[in-house]
Amino acid sequence: MTDSAVLQAGLQQPGWQVDRFIVSTALAGLALLGGLIWLETAPFMVALFLIGAVLGMALYHGAFGFTAGWRNLVVKKRGAGMRAQLLLFGVTSLIMVPMLHSGQPGMVGAVAPISTSLVVGSFLFGIGMQLGGGCGSGTLFTVGAGNLRMAVTLVFFIIGTVIGSIHVPWWFSQPGFDPVPLVRSLGVPGALLAQFAALGLIAWWVNRIERKAHGNLHWDELLWRSPGRSPLRTLLSGRWPFTWAIAIVAIGNALTLWIGGSPWGITFAFNVWGAKALEAVGVDMSQFEYWQWRYPAAALRDSVLTHITSVMNFGLLLGAMLAAGLANRFNEASQKRPEGRPFLAAVMGGLLLGYGARLGFGCNIGALFSGIASASLHAWVWFACAFAGSLLGIRLRLWFRLPN
Amino acid sequence: MERPYSRVRVLVMLAIILVLIMADHLSSPTFAFNSGQGNVETALSQQAPLAGRPVPQHETDH
Repeated sequence: MTDSAVLQAGLQQPGWQVDRFIVSTALAGLALLGGLIWLETAPFMVALFLIGAVLGMALYHGAFGFTAGWRNLVVKKRGAGMRAQLLLFGVTSLIMVPMLHSGQPGMVGAVAPISTSLVVGSFLFGIGMQLGGGCGSGTLFTVGAGNLRMAVTLVFFIIGTVIGSIHVPWWFSQPGFDPVPLVRSLGVPGALLAQFAALGLIAWWVNRIERKAHGNLHWDELLWRSPGRSPLRTLLSGRWPFTWAIAIVAIGNALTLWIGGSPWGITFAFNVWGAKALEAVGVDMSQFEYWQWRYPAAALRDSVLTHITSVMNFGLLLGAMLAAGLANRFNEASQKRPEGRPFLAAVMGGLLLGYGARLGFGCNIGALFSGIASASLHAWVWFACAFAGSLLGIRLRLWFRLPN
Repeated sequence: MERPYSRVRVLVMLAIILVLIMADHLSSPTFAFNSGQGNVETALSQQAPLAGRPVPQHETDH
């Protein structure tokens, strides 16, 4: 069967409508912005832009949300989402830890100090995840899919990162320890084994909770086919089994490291966008210490098209939009406009996410996922503190009239 | 079936984002460099010497 015949067969399956306007708009956006990046920067930036788009599709079609996975474990006592995340961390560290220590120059891992700012920031981020309704990646891909409430969260996420950047030099002066890359003391095999042991221990704890509540385990994270749908239709319109999303997201992060020189991150771009917006209305950001540091100052001074995280975020937004169009579900989650306490939750959640991400060396992607993939101890501290914050956030959701 | 969004609103939002990106880019050192101005330090030209050395974590890209 030819490729076109396979495509026809997939498209002709009953009950599948594509939102042609959204799909064509997203494709036009990808072509336009991709062309601009190609003309004005360098080919490797186009590659990173496209990786961002594929990651956006994978996150949307895989419904790969860190926030819901944690909440499902706590509230519904179901652990598939959490186990999928653990599997993702394991697979990615298996690829990226040896890459980072292969001796190839030009690659830097996500390694950070164990500090007061890390503990406070990740805890605040965890609360924000549950109030805002998403994490760094979750906020971005749901906005791309047209979710209005998450657009409110994103705006305040950006504001929160900028406030955080103004305060962060003070937080960094508080007590803390130097970064602890596990490879330095354990070597590559030892670091991988230690991480797998920790991931296995958490998986055992997750299984125990699920089995105690339900008497069985739903191994949804191990499914590799969506029942009743052809693989092609599943690939284009979702929903992807977790295994597909895990594979694509793991490879995407490894390619980001290989091409861009550092692992995947999201929230520093929000920082830059917010600071640029303030500069546009006349605020001199260089009066703040953080924006005098070499890397932030360089990112602020130059075009967002030269900034890897920004370019990948643009790709992610458009990729999620494309996926939502292919699934005919663009804007589906915005039938009811946010108002009252749910609106306030989006505002407060966004601010906590942004402030927490700045203090905690990133979000669930930059600090947690890429941190574990770099075998850095700070990622494990981030994980524990953000989960603790998330527990508080889940309780607060009731007051904000958000469904659990 | 009624569409759950306004096409015009989607296009306007995307156009605003594109205009903001273009406005930022047109006033950037990279655009000046691409337009033939020498002596401009761009983020991309700085990346090569930066690569391969550990960037202080508090400044890095997360």
